[in-house]
Amino acid sequence: MNKNLYNENQTIEEIKNTFHTAEIKLQRESRIIVKLRSDLIPPFLSYAKNYLAFNHLAHFSCVDWIEDNEFELVYLLYSYEKNIVVIAKTRISRDKAEFVTIKHLWRQAETYEREIHEMFGINFTGNDRLNEFILEDWDDIPPMRRDFNTIQFAKDNFYTRPGREDAQDVRETITKKSGEKIPDFAKEFSVRNLK
Amino acid sequence: MFNDKEASKIVDIIKNFARKHSLWVVAYGTGCGAIELPPTMTSRYDAERFGIRGSATPRQADVLLITGYLSVKTLKRVIRTYEQMQEPKYVIGFGSCTINGGMYWDSYNTIKALDRYLPVDVYINGCMPRPEAVISGFIKLQQLISEGKADGAKRYRENLEWYRENQRKVIKNWRMPEYNW
Repeated sequence: MNKNLYNENQTIEEIKNTFHTAEIKLQRESRIIVKLRSDLIPPFLSYAKNYLAFNHLAHFSCVDWIEDNEFELVYLLYSYEKNIVVIAKTRISRDKAEFVTIKHLWRQAETYEREIHEMFGINFTGNDRLNEFILEDWDDIPPMRRDFNTIQFAKDNFYTRPGREDAQDVRETITKKSGEKIPDFAKEFSVRNLK
Repeated sequence: MFNDKEASKIVDIIKNFARKHSLWVVAYGTGCGAIELPPTMTSRYDAERFGIRGSATPRQADVLLITGYLSVKTLKRVIRTYEQMQEPKYVIGFGSCTINGGMYWDSYNTIKALDRYLPVDVYINGCMPRPEAVISGFIKLQQLISEGKADGAKRYRENLEWYRENQRKVIKNWRMPEYNW
């Protein structure tokens, strides 16, 4: 890799000097991953926006790490000057799913927070618009949590037309043709095993 | 010269002939299938040569196209749209999602069989059906109309309780208007 990483290295240095506890990784050209403690996220975002010119909140999403009993919040910030994406990640406890809002920094964060509130059930303190958003009349646990059993829910609520039970796994036909083997982790999600 | 029965038969033939050549489709796109309608309507496939046209409001339309998957939230709106349409009215289920769920068979928020909730006259399969398939579906509907077999609205009126039961099972907070057709 013979690319000029001047901007990236400079940004990493600046973040390192201000946030000593941050775990910083240069994933590839123009992608920097910053892992932070959850209480450092608002100051970090404010710092990145005001001092490092990362003034575009490109995306804000959530990952459910049910094995660790944690949610991971992922903020993607983009800088038009440096042409870099900084990915700020933090983990919060799954039992007390609560975090502070960042809508005072970017107004569009409000909509992302509403969506995450609906899909993962995370409460953002300071955001007063966490009402019903996309799902209507939802009374189950939030559907994007990994302990929500989607297939069982669909079976219970929606009529299934008979005739799909003998559906063939397309991958088996493909592997027969090409001679490849299905890896074990993929077999687990095969159509035959889901029945 | 004619008795009443024969006269009404002839009137029906004329009515159905007129109906089948003037199918106005309500401009309502659900799911991803709505993207197949512009090429169907525009110059290359030109659906208007079969009398298929778009219409602005449900009250002026004859055909309700369900173009793809239906989330529960959309189903509510579709039922209201269908009930506002004036007879004669027909429903075309479009794409494999309306038939058996398609690729959304395990989704938490989409219904899997449209004919449990609305009376479907013609299904077009495919994911997505191309404009040729859409036009062939419409021609099938025209055949059914000229034979007098496209009786979805009548089935809906007669089996309203069964349809309502299925609809209420999915739509939990029922705040729908009651019509007295």
